[in-house]
Amino acid sequence: MSDKEQYTDVLVIGAGIAGIEASLMLSTSDRKVHLIEKTSYTGGTVIKFEEVFSNMECSTCMVSPIQQELLQDKNINLLILTEIEEVKGSFGNFTAKIRKKASYVDLQNCIGCNECFEPCPVSLKNEFEEGLSERKAIYVPCAGALPNAPMIDTEHCLRFKGKDCRACQEACMFEAIDFNQKDEKLELKVGAIIVATGFNTFDPKQSPEYGYGKIDDVYTAFEFERLYASNGPTDGKILLKNGEIPKSAAIIHCVGRDKKGYCSSVCCMYSLKFNHYLKSKIPEIKISEFYTDLCIPGKSHQKFYEKMKETGTDMIRAGEIEVTKQGKGMAVKYNNGNGKKSILPVDMVILSPAIEPNDDASKLAKILDISLDEYGFFKEENQDVSSVITSNSGVFIAGCIQGPKNIQDSVSQASAAVGKILSLSR
Amino acid sequence: MEKKIGVYICECGPNIAEKIDIDKVIDAVSSLDDVNVVDRYKLLCSVDGKKFLEEQIKKQGLTHLVVAACSPKQHEQTFMEVCENAGINPYLFQLANIREQCAWITEDKDEATKKAIILVKAAIRRVRYHVSLEKKEIDSNPDVLVIGGGIAGIEASLQLASSDRKIYLVEKTSSLGGLITNYEKTFPSMRSSSEIIKQKIQDVDKNENIKVFTDSEVEESLGFFGNFQVKVKKTTEENEIVEFNVGAIVLATGSTLFDPDEIPRYGYGKIDNVITAFEFEKMNLSGVILLKNNKPPKSVAIIHCVGRNEKGYCSEICCMYSLKFVRYLKDKLPDVKVTNFYSDLCIPGKSDQKFYEETKGKNVDFIRATDLEITKQGDKINIKYKNETNENSLPIDMVILSPAVEPTSDAFKLAELTSISLGDGGFFSEEHEKLGPVSTSTDGVYIVGCAQGPKNISETVVQAGAATGKILSSLIPGRKIEPEIKTSQISESFCIGCKNCISVCSYGAITFDETRKIAVVNEVICRGCGNCVAACPSGAANIKHFTFNQIYQELMEAVK
Repeated sequence: MSDKEQYTDVLVIGAGIAGIEASLMLSTSDRKVHLIEKTSYTGGTVIKFEEVFSNMECSTCMVSPIQQELLQDKNINLLILTEIEEVKGSFGNFTAKIRKKASYVDLQNCIGCNECFEPCPVSLKNEFEEGLSERKAIYVPCAGALPNAPMIDTEHCLRFKGKDCRACQEACMFEAIDFNQKDEKLELKVGAIIVATGFNTFDPKQSPEYGYGKIDDVYTAFEFERLYASNGPTDGKILLKNGEIPKSAAIIHCVGRDKKGYCSSVCCMYSLKFNHYLKSKIPEIKISEFYTDLCIPGKSHQKFYEKMKETGTDMIRAGEIEVTKQGKGMAVKYNNGNGKKSILPVDMVILSPAIEPNDDASKLAKILDISLDEYGFFKEENQDVSSVITSNSGVFIAGCIQGPKNIQDSVSQASAAVGKILSLSR
Repeated sequence: MEKKIGVYICECGPNIAEKIDIDKVIDAVSSLDDVNVVDRYKLLCSVDGKKFLEEQIKKQGLTHLVVAACSPKQHEQTFMEVCENAGINPYLFQLANIREQCAWITEDKDEATKKAIILVKAAIRRVRYHVSLEKKEIDSNPDVLVIGGGIAGIEASLQLASSDRKIYLVEKTSSLGGLITNYEKTFPSMRSSSEIIKQKIQDVDKNENIKVFTDSEVEESLGFFGNFQVKVKKTTEENEIVEFNVGAIVLATGSTLFDPDEIPRYGYGKIDNVITAFEFEKMNLSGVILLKNNKPPKSVAIIHCVGRNEKGYCSEICCMYSLKFVRYLKDKLPDVKVTNFYSDLCIPGKSDQKFYEETKGKNVDFIRATDLEITKQGDKINIKYKNETNENSLPIDMVILSPAVEPTSDAFKLAELTSISLGDGGFFSEEHEKLGPVSTSTDGVYIVGCAQGPKNISETVVQAGAATGKILSSLIPGRKIEPEIKTSQISESFCIGCKNCISVCSYGAITFDETRKIAVVNEVICRGCGNCVAACPSGAANIKHFTFNQIYQELMEAVK
């Protein structure tokens, strides 16, 4: 650390589960935290899940208390719709330039009644729901989003395209819509930075053999999560595109593994969770899980697998999988290891794709002056010493941006990053 | 003292005002006992709304406050803060949810109004039985006891120690370092283990804020977060006992390997040259890999998943350390033929598959097999196995068994000492599978490394860091601890001494007073979960702010 002024505030990037955990812990120790999040909501990926393995606990119920705590915490300055643009300095003395995008909704006045959505004449695919439902140009991504902060999508809002529409403003009883809001540029002085920007999933369109995007009823894991979610586009009903209930489903593990060159460590477990999802809604459904190696490490996971096996699901170790259209449904062709080709007709296919770094990982790495590994994840300085330290001594990493991992390990890394900061800068 | 209750109804813009006839609600509750003032406001949670409420409380000299508005999840905290700012105890307040549970779900305005009246009346009746609750503060000791001198314990100690925080590091063997000292290298970096651990041990030795006890065991731990009294026994030197106080405890007691003796078909202990992973690590560390007859093996089989079925879990690291063994073997005996017998290759994470790809190669086979049986065949060993299509056998010189990871034998004793529980596989149970991986049901007791579950060195170090983070953020030198306010209270006169409450308490917060024959709650440990209230047959246990009477009064009004 230099002889420059030492700042104790911490900048946390990403308000997913790791970022929330780190922020709350730092606040407990009386540190001021600036938590920036590029979307309009907290909770990250975890709030897209209905349940989490292996206890099958309701995911939003698990996270919403800490989301609430975060919003009420006076040490935490949550900045939504915010991205980092420049970082200068070193451990103890960083200057971060950030841009907070205008939401055009004054949150001081907005009470979150959602009255402004209905009159908006624009309809768009809702990204939070993986495009399975529609939203307006003024919207919150999902019911129950925290903070309950509507925003205007200026790319599609008629007013921002030059038309004289003020439907949302007229519907608002609280004068919360402010078309004159401007993006804000802020400068933060912080001593340390924690990056917890999460992950993306492999796009199965890159592996055309799975038929994704071409064949109806081939879903990605995230699409299926939203289909099952009680606050999702179908209110939790698992239905085929034609409105019928599927009688059979194939869950395909390891989608993109070969292309990425690593095992994403969570896909087997969440695929087994999907088995539970399907059976709980459609008890008579026939399920086949296609896998290569079952990767269910840890003290509690095999028990979960054993219990799942009792439901009569076929576990098929297979390679060379191909999904094609067949009649009203689909056919899964596969090689079952003895060189024998088999074909299984199914109504629904769920793909479990690999975890990959976020789209903006390389941009962010440049801004933060840290390195990426060969897969594009943020590189830890030394895996044997601690996976939360980077080549820039004041910048720490937590969660899936460092590599694929489950929620527990993400939370551990978040706590460990806080531990490092508190022990290195007392 | 005379009660003066103020009742304020939030219009929540059109949300409540349009769905409920607020004037009718005001009329219906204005003449109730102790109600001093009833009023409506357009948005109570707004800055102006909060100011209005604060002024009202002061101006009207209110003693209790009822707000009818949204869900307590939304704004209970907001209005409790208003009470505090206005000088009344925040627990002399009740929030009636007439938005989510009334306005938003009841179509008919008359019905909604009727329901709102009931909810507000119930809140008024309840608040009359509220009592002031005060924050408590207790002194805390920032020092930490770390049990286990392996990499996890060492890492935690080094990160925690400072001039205002002493660390007591207790190790049951005669030296620090733990299991890792037996390994030549660690995967996947293949860095020298001794390089990693030796420097850290030196750092511990040099650190004057870390007191190391080798050949020692923890005998007793009493107390709670911030204030534990600990007894440590030196197992040498005539069992000398040392006593000290700490504020937190880190359990980093590591793991041991499943004993392959339990599965006779592996031939361990009966057939020469069938050795465990641990024995192989030691052999490799000694510099030469030799058979019993002092000749180097020409062929070696590594058997994964030994004990997996018996233990009921995948130990996560065995595939990777088995691959590391292939590297060891190829380093020392380039021509040796190595055959891996595995069931599922478990190599999660971004670096492990690459390690596998780089380990595969000439004279390294991977056979997915079941029903392995190891027998003696002349000078050699024979492995019988089933693969996907048929039965086979393979003659081999040496067999290395890769057994499951299991908790150390003292886990049970330590769990009892610290009032935490053992869960899946007999490992220490974390407080929450996802959100509390290193915390436990006992506040101030943390679990890290393989004592919590099988994991690799990197994850172990992360957990040590995670516990450090928990302790550094919550146990700060000179700062007092604020325990839960809404705790259980057990009435001395009603308690029949059945001890039901003690058996259901997850936090070890209730003890039995043998002289008075009653259960006693330690309010510093209690977290107000209510288990004891449900279990108490005599109605002696109550949670503050959720007492029988408070709930009864509210309910009676609602169902009247």
